Amino acid sequence: MKCMILAVASLLGAVSASAQTHYPLQIENCGRKVRFEAAPERAVTIGQSATEILYSLGLADRVKGTSVWFNKVLPRYAEVNAQIPRLADNDPSFESVVARKPDLVAVQYEWHVGPNGVVGTREQFADLGINTYILPADCDTKDNSTGGDGTRVGAFDPVQVYKGIRQLAEIFDVADRGETLVDDLQATEARAVARAKALDLPKGLKAAFWFSSADIALDPYMAGQLGAPGYMMRALGLTNVVQSDEEWPTVGWESIAKADPDVLVIAKMDRRRFPADDVEEKLKFLRSDPVTRQMKAVREGHIVVMDAHAMSATLRTIYGLDSLSDALAGMTFQ
Amino acid sequence: MSRKALLWGAGLIVLALTLLAGAAIGETRLPLASVARVLANHLWQAGYPVDRIDAGIIWSYRLPRAIVAASCGAGLALTGVVLQALLRNPLADPYLMGLSAGASTGAVLVSIAGFGAGALSMSAGALIGALAAFAAVVALAHAIPGTARGTSGAAAIILAGIAGSQMFNALTAFIIARSANAEQARGIMFWLMGNLSGVRWEDVLPAVVVTCLGALVCLWHRHALDAFTFGAESAASLGINVPKTRGILITATAVMIGVLVSKVGAIGFVGLVVPHAMRFLVGTRHQRLVPASALAGAVFLVLADIVSRIIVPGQVLPIGVVTALIGAPAFALILMRGAR
Repeated sequence: MKCMILAVASLLGAVSASAQTHYPLQIENCGRKVRFEAAPERAVTIGQSATEILYSLGLADRVKGTSVWFNKVLPRYAEVNAQIPRLADNDPSFESVVARKPDLVAVQYEWHVGPNGVVGTREQFADLGINTYILPADCDTKDNSTGGDGTRVGAFDPVQVYKGIRQLAEIFDVADRGETLVDDLQATEARAVARAKALDLPKGLKAAFWFSSADIALDPYMAGQLGAPGYMMRALGLTNVVQSDEEWPTVGWESIAKADPDVLVIAKMDRRRFPADDVEEKLKFLRSDPVTRQMKAVREGHIVVMDAHAMSATLRTIYGLDSLSDALAGMTFQ
Repeated sequence: MSRKALLWGAGLIVLALTLLAGAAIGETRLPLASVARVLANHLWQAGYPVDRIDAGIIWSYRLPRAIVAASCGAGLALTGVVLQALLRNPLADPYLMGLSAGASTGAVLVSIAGFGAGALSMSAGALIGALAAFAAVVALAHAIPGTARGTSGAAAIILAGIAGSQMFNALTAFIIARSANAEQARGIMFWLMGNLSGVRWEDVLPAVVVTCLGALVCLWHRHALDAFTFGAESAASLGINVPKTRGILITATAVMIGVLVSKVGAIGFVGLVVPHAMRFLVGTRHQRLVPASALAGAVFLVLADIVSRIIVPGQVLPIGVVTALIGAPAFALILMRGAR
């Protein structure tokens, strides 16, 4: 259905002249001016979010390489994705990106391509005549100079995702497809929020998001206030039991158990770096640990499994919001 | 009552109070009455009504954590005592001898490079890595000519430790540089700096048993340890079977370190500082030094763990950060007082 809407929309887009991009196009992107003389023909993506946005804009034929995968690609793009070279599951090397001869490198995280980018700096790419575009969700409310994942200085808002979609659509001269995609996501968002509102959830319902842990019983990586999960909780009227502003702080089980969340969201991912990456291991721990099994969320089975990629600031965040709202609808709170 | 018994009694009371503090103080604030009730419920089936989560936190998280911290502190201090005597080097300490470097290499091999994926946990990787590094360093030290006798041996072990540490650190850096992200780097920190958050009751028995056995081995060889302080040759001249005794003591040390590292990661400075502090207090005779170091190490690590949990609100610091922050200035103080 969605594909059809997109296809129809792109046809409409083709006939509508008003949304055409006028080149040269100059946009401000993560503190840097980027100039496009024409729509890119060959894009390489660093980050699953950038990849899936381009696919969602119907631009898969322009994607000449992908990298940094958290989950399986959205099912509707499985076929098209299989045709595109995956440069690396994690960080690609600078040369492997350059070797694809891209005219645009679309990036999810500034720590991959940015002032201290592990793949390269934007200057390095610019020197070879390659444009770079970083998704605003990773820099608009974030200070990436702090090293590692960076630190959010303001709360994530889907507006940042929409901005990224619209800008990429403009860069590729498919502005109408971008609008359609944003409309679609906004509708999903509104529906999810309305559904949760209709549930008339008890005030102050507490929730927590568990991403993974370095070892199964060690302090877990939990979602802080300002990242995508923080937005989901706020949007649906849940209170995050984790106070930290960091994106994924380590928080002791003692603190989480003491806060006793009513709902626990756990991440599902394909990678197996730590035992706790496995949803089954997470559930086993929660149900067998003498303390966590006493938590309300565990006793009452209020555990929601969500794609890890939805817990990052991506277009999947909206799908995560939707699935969380859906899961809440199936729960009863006294 | 003799003075010795009095001191022992006092020491054990301090340890018991420290363990109680470990059960009472943590990330979250729980009323002392709850702590008392939970302990009474478990120890004497007192049947007080208590919140189930509070009870779980005190009994299932904090108490085993405190006991394992005490075991680790005692074990690490003992390994410091043994290594310093055997190697006749005041700087000998498992941490400096490549242990933490090896543990982190083992942990990254499992978690990032995917060695033995599934079959091995990160802690098992850390254990194997620590023992491998330790063995490599000891072997290297022995391979350096002239180690068996003379003063060059004292320096050899430290040089071997530096070489081993550097190599294993480079390996870790290599693996991380190849594929790790910030989250993985953070996971590795657990093994680099030590962390007790994953400790549960099932960890208590192995930690306590290995430490108690280690302490007994050390006490049994207290006179040999005294003799080794004057060199292997004097030990031999006193009728000690040097290779055998050395083998037993090194094995005991390695087993203790291996088990403890697999539980809590590599914690530095305890093995280095505590024996020095105790030598200062009770003298160099191992009859006193061994139990005193074990006791002091136990108390020190439980306290360090408490500090690591409460010093930054809402965040737990790796315990190695705390032991180094307290240990390094304390060590400097000891050095300065010793020099005077």
